[in-house]
Amino acid sequence: MSGGMSGPIRRSASARRLVAIGVTLIVLLSPFLWLLQMSFKSNDLILQFPPPLIFTPTLQNYASLWQGAFPASFVNSLMSASFSTALALILGVPAAYALSRWAGRGKHALSFAILVTRMAPPIAFTIPFFLFYRWIGLLDTVTGLVLVYTSFNLPLVIWMMQPFFETVPSSLEEAALVDGASTRIVFLQIVLPMVAPGIAATAILCFLYAWNDFFFALILTRTNARTAPVAVVNFMNYEGWEWGKIAAGGSLVMAPVLIFSLAVRRYLVSGLTAGAVKG
Amino acid sequence: MTKKNSGHKSAAVSRRTLLQAGAATIGAAAFPMPVIAQTKPFAGVTLRGASFQHRFFTLLQNYIPEFEAQTGMKVDLQLSAFPVYNQQANLELSSGGSAFDFVNVTFILAARWVAAGLLANLDEFTGDPNLTPAEWKPKDFVEGAQVPYRDAKGATYGYSWEGGAMVMGLSRMDLMEKKGLKVPKTFAELQQVCAEINGVENVTGIVSFQLHHWCLPPYIQGFGGNIFRNPPTDIMPALNSPEAIQAIEFYANLLKNYAPKGVLTYTEDQARQALLTGRSNIFIHSSAWITPILMSGDSKVKDTSRVVRMPAGPVRDFPAANSQGLGIPKNAKNKKAAWEFIKWALSPEISMRLVKEHGHSSVCRRSVIESEEYRRLNTVNGQDLGALYLEVLGLPAKGENYMAYRTVKEFPIVGDVLNKAFEQVATGQLPAQAAMNAAQEQAIANMRRAGTAL
Amino acid sequence: MSGKGLVDAERRRFNVFALAPSLIVLFAIAGLPAIYLVVTSLTPFQLVNPGSSTDFSSPLRNYRLLPDDPRFVNSLWVQAKLSFWGVLFQVLLGMLLALLLHTQSRVAEFARTFFLIPMVLPPIVVAIIWKLIYTPDISPLYYAAGLLNIAMPSLTSSVDFALTAIIIADTWEWLPFTFLMVLAALQTIPDEFSEAALVDGANRFQIFFYITLPFITPILVISGMFRLIDSVKAFPLVFLLTGGGPGSVTEVTNYYAYLLAFDFNEIGYSSAVTIVMLLLVVAVSFGVVWMGRRREAMA
Repeated sequence: MSGGMSGPIRRSASARRLVAIGVTLIVLLSPFLWLLQMSFKSNDLILQFPPPLIFTPTLQNYASLWQGAFPASFVNSLMSASFSTALALILGVPAAYALSRWAGRGKHALSFAILVTRMAPPIAFTIPFFLFYRWIGLLDTVTGLVLVYTSFNLPLVIWMMQPFFETVPSSLEEAALVDGASTRIVFLQIVLPMVAPGIAATAILCFLYAWNDFFFALILTRTNARTAPVAVVNFMNYEGWEWGKIAAGGSLVMAPVLIFSLAVRRYLVSGLTAGAVKG
Repeated sequence: MTKKNSGHKSAAVSRRTLLQAGAATIGAAAFPMPVIAQTKPFAGVTLRGASFQHRFFTLLQNYIPEFEAQTGMKVDLQLSAFPVYNQQANLELSSGGSAFDFVNVTFILAARWVAAGLLANLDEFTGDPNLTPAEWKPKDFVEGAQVPYRDAKGATYGYSWEGGAMVMGLSRMDLMEKKGLKVPKTFAELQQVCAEINGVENVTGIVSFQLHHWCLPPYIQGFGGNIFRNPPTDIMPALNSPEAIQAIEFYANLLKNYAPKGVLTYTEDQARQALLTGRSNIFIHSSAWITPILMSGDSKVKDTSRVVRMPAGPVRDFPAANSQGLGIPKNAKNKKAAWEFIKWALSPEISMRLVKEHGHSSVCRRSVIESEEYRRLNTVNGQDLGALYLEVLGLPAKGENYMAYRTVKEFPIVGDVLNKAFEQVATGQLPAQAAMNAAQEQAIANMRRAGTAL
Repeated sequence: MSGKGLVDAERRRFNVFALAPSLIVLFAIAGLPAIYLVVTSLTPFQLVNPGSSTDFSSPLRNYRLLPDDPRFVNSLWVQAKLSFWGVLFQVLLGMLLALLLHTQSRVAEFARTFFLIPMVLPPIVVAIIWKLIYTPDISPLYYAAGLLNIAMPSLTSSVDFALTAIIIADTWEWLPFTFLMVLAALQTIPDEFSEAALVDGANRFQIFFYITLPFITPILVISGMFRLIDSVKAFPLVFLLTGGGPGSVTEVTNYYAYLLAFDFNEIGYSSAVTIVMLLLVVAVSFGVVWMGRRREAMA
């Protein structure tokens, strides 16, 4: 990738191109920015047209959210996303390593099965999960959500980590093995540190997917384990939509993933493309 | 002796909590809580209930600390958005869940829940004088509002907290008078008024909202048709009768020609806003949504508004009535405590306080609605809204029970088909005849698939 | 030799320990539900009637009903339209965007991250964002149209525009994905190719069509297929923007299955609908894997 970075096509960005990039960015992000500015407006201002570009921002929408049940849903989201990410990594990383080093015949079939699990529409899991949870009492619990999220995060980990393991030269491992180290030691002490960026990228994606889930949480939670995305929909009232609160809620729900993604953008890019680019 | 003492204590506590909560103390003094329990029999019980968000519950939450102080139980009332609540509660009850001790019995789901035996029979509670004192008077609830919560044998599974009596609100009588138009009394006049007003000063003739299977049946019945052939006994759908087709065409035309853009996806609130700001002249819906044009501070059209009976059809005059009620899931863990709560929330005292302290007038107790106090508060510009409300709510119980179609447990299936078919007509995808023929076929197929023998 | 055998045995043991927990968990949380789904799809299971969950008297009933259910057939058609246009726009616009940003500049590199924002947002927030744009009362879009004296129909309740409205929102949300993929592919094109072409006097378009495009075609196809599979999952947009309406204009199969199971409680029938959807997804996934392997073989 870093081979011929000095080609004439990519060497310099003309001013015109930079302007084009800037304009495209603004146009593309304008719906998102609209939500953001709305969250700082009072309801009267929201309904005011033409929309005032300069206004005194108010935090009243956010403040009113903080008094309701919203913070609890935020914590639920945080817990279910973190725990399912951890669980998926603990289970999936060794499995991905084993698969990447496995030349056995069932490999392709197994990879395919894992991919399908990842691709299946959520509704396929919700019905059985709902009935099963109902039966053993996991409905409306964070544990229940963690399990469900693991059902799509575990395949993701296995699928995404394999290419990273494949980039680790096997000569390194063989040298260690010849020295008498066990595979477990080789894996933990030599291979794992080398794929740390891959693990980070994978973890980010797992967290993102779990945090962003709406469908499972809608069906499998009631009130105790309600997550932030479902809680936001709750501001769409029977008796009138509280636009300011909806906008503030939406902004809050997207804040963690946004901050997170921008902070680790390098990993994010490799994470988002890894599984797919490798094919 | 001890009994009496603790009774005093609980009253004192209740009053103190009330002060702390900042709720109106005058109300509490005027209507002391009935002494339900001398000791606190429910101490330590956490009562879990759920409903969709509605002003009634928001107001009730102001009073709940009193109830908690009185009974010792803790009330955990979870309010969700309307579609979220319905979906979750329906799932919860249908799968025999016990997560909730009391639930809102949403009107559209009432028939299904009652028929499937998902709710507890409340007659067991009202019939026991130890559980329900005579003053509570179950018969005090307006008959029309109670119909949805009764099974075929007449047992009661819910008590209503909100009555929806379909009335017509007109916001721009000034424009109508200028044009020499009178309040429309028939469908034909309704169409004429809509046509004449639409476009004048940017006002639309009519506004409505997305629950077509609620707004539409009065027209179907007005032209002489019905949803089913003869509910509740003969539940063969009758969606493609000539009367039904005529009604669909009529109502679709109203919305197509004289309503604001996007009216098909309007929520109730959007429609109410259109009426209250005078952007639309007519809105026909439950009184709770209409009377604010006369009573709410948000109304910009107080002086030019009227609230009246909806127009009559050429054949029949059947304004719809509905209600929302409270019930107890069959598998609830704390049924007695739940009943204690329902009894309290729907007591004459609380109903009266809601009316007096908050102007919340869509309560269902006849004694309250007929009281002097209520009449005084709900008579605006010479219009006695209470009488109108009571009249419409009571109609189905008087003559033919025309709301019987709602007590058919398959109604949600047919209502959904009707909704889709109406949208197809109103958006011009299909002519009424074709849409309703297809709807009839699909309603039958869906009912059969769901196991209904026809 | 025996030492190598020992190492192999040790490696196998490690593999078993590494793989087994994942496979067991996957089987429990994905395999079993899938089996259950298949079994349930053979019953007329309704939640309110628990006995019906084990009624296998007419196992293929649900599947026989499917072709005659106009809503199901329509939902497949709606899904096809949504997927086709959505994927097409995402691939095309994603490619254009990637070409635009395929340049060496600190600024462009910095901007790149911000182009990813729509994709990382929670889908429900994306739906809220577009709800704000599509609600006439508060939308800047309608205000602007009003200034220009254009009578804009209510997009989400119009037969002609409701699906388009969803496609626009979906494209906005997932455009960054194809953009990112194509950009990654562009960066692997050896510059010598285009340098040589430039020397030969080729213009920009010729370079694009004869060098760049062939190079990125596989990635276009693969990212398109990934998006195709994921487009079946479109739920929050439909849920919040249109609710499947007006009529059934935007009712995709996933949404219909959701309504059947969780609004009408027809678990059995909904399972059958879901199975059909699952089979379609498996077919496309198979295509992705096949494409990927062909690429590997070619490389």
